[in-house]
Amino acid sequence: MIRFSFLAAAALAAAALHAPAQAAQPAGPAAAVDPSKLKAFATLPDWSGVWTLAPGVPGGSFDPSLTVPKGGQSGLAGVRVDAPLTPEWAAKYAANRAKVDADRFPDPVSFCGTPSGFPRVLTIPDGYEFVVRPEQTWILTENGPNVIRVYTDGRGHLPPDEIWATFSGDSIGHWEGETLVFETIAMVGDGSTILDRTGLTLSGKQKVTTRLRKTAPDMLESQMTIEDPVALTRPWTVTRLYKRQPVGSRVFDYVCTENNRNPITATGQTLTLDTSGNQIDRKVDPAPEGGKAAP
Amino acid sequence: MNKKSLACSGLALAALAALAALVAFAAVPALAHHSFAMFDRDKPMTLEGVVKQFQWTNPHSWIQVNAPGPDGVMREWSIEGNSTGTLYRQGWKPTSFKAGDKVSMRIFPMKDGSAGGSFVGAKFADGHVLGRMD
Repeated sequence: MIRFSFLAAAALAAAALHAPAQAAQPAGPAAAVDPSKLKAFATLPDWSGVWTLAPGVPGGSFDPSLTVPKGGQSGLAGVRVDAPLTPEWAAKYAANRAKVDADRFPDPVSFCGTPSGFPRVLTIPDGYEFVVRPEQTWILTENGPNVIRVYTDGRGHLPPDEIWATFSGDSIGHWEGETLVFETIAMVGDGSTILDRTGLTLSGKQKVTTRLRKTAPDMLESQMTIEDPVALTRPWTVTRLYKRQPVGSRVFDYVCTENNRNPITATGQTLTLDTSGNQIDRKVDPAPEGGKAAP
Repeated sequence: MNKKSLACSGLALAALAALAALVAFAAVPALAHHSFAMFDRDKPMTLEGVVKQFQWTNPHSWIQVNAPGPDGVMREWSIEGNSTGTLYRQGWKPTSFKAGDKVSMRIFPMKDGSAGGSFVGAKFADGHVLGRMD
């Protein structure tokens, strides 16, 4: 009896010691996980291997089906994507395009180290890998590199008072048969990232619902429906395809800082350096007064 | 050469041609790292020169070529290509270009006339082609 009381007292003391710490920390996402509800490993689809955006798609445009002129490549003068933008955001986009046409709208990834951001990350060059597990799916991109984590373990998004905008956002998913359906929120927008190099941006209030599935043994499809109550007049659905590369294909390092011979000037101009680090460009903007003006 | 090996050669040639077409198609530069605005895609040009250095690097590979420009003046040109992973999957190797290689280089030149451009294709002295020369 004495022994029991001692143990009980010790337990109470321990609980008291831990109580403040527990009260200060919210229940972690792991608390929501119920392993018995996870999809069995054997029922998950085979998305192994290396994938790249299906050939024939004009480079870089977020929605090539709406590129004007048709087949236009993002980053080239005069090319735009006909997104359902509100008048205010259409004007903002037009201003960005004018900078693109003048080569004064640098891609944020040119600075090396900035992630592509979601949903742009689903439409970039180089290799993709899709690592499917019951509790989460990782989308790994060679370019960048980027990692998108899609949680399918039953957790929800972080609560509103704990979430903050990031380049990759917060992705929560579930399986509908062999289709991974996930919702991404809390992404940065205009001023931090772009949708493509035509200068297309979103407000940072966007929500993206993505359906990822195989449409053929070696073809994956992502169907992204973007809702942005600030920048878009209606939900905008974009579909991209990824082709599985031959068995045995590999993905390699992509080190943006290894030999980056394209620095960006303070005015947003993309320079080209020779092997000694001297710029070869014949026309370079004068530095703005007051030093650097990062774009 | 007997009939059978001729047939095999024909098949091999056909396969090579198909592969070359595939590589040529796949080699359209994506330039994953920065805007394409500096290049003039409407006025591709061909350089006849000698490789000085091949940089098998990221975020871009670079081929340094000594060649006369449109003005006839010999310069060192900086030709920008894709990242190593994509190039490797398209059939390139770190040794695809060697110093001293005589090449015809098809490029999208820089708009401002600088000695640089974006890689489109290269034809080597032995006739083999990387990318596309059209």
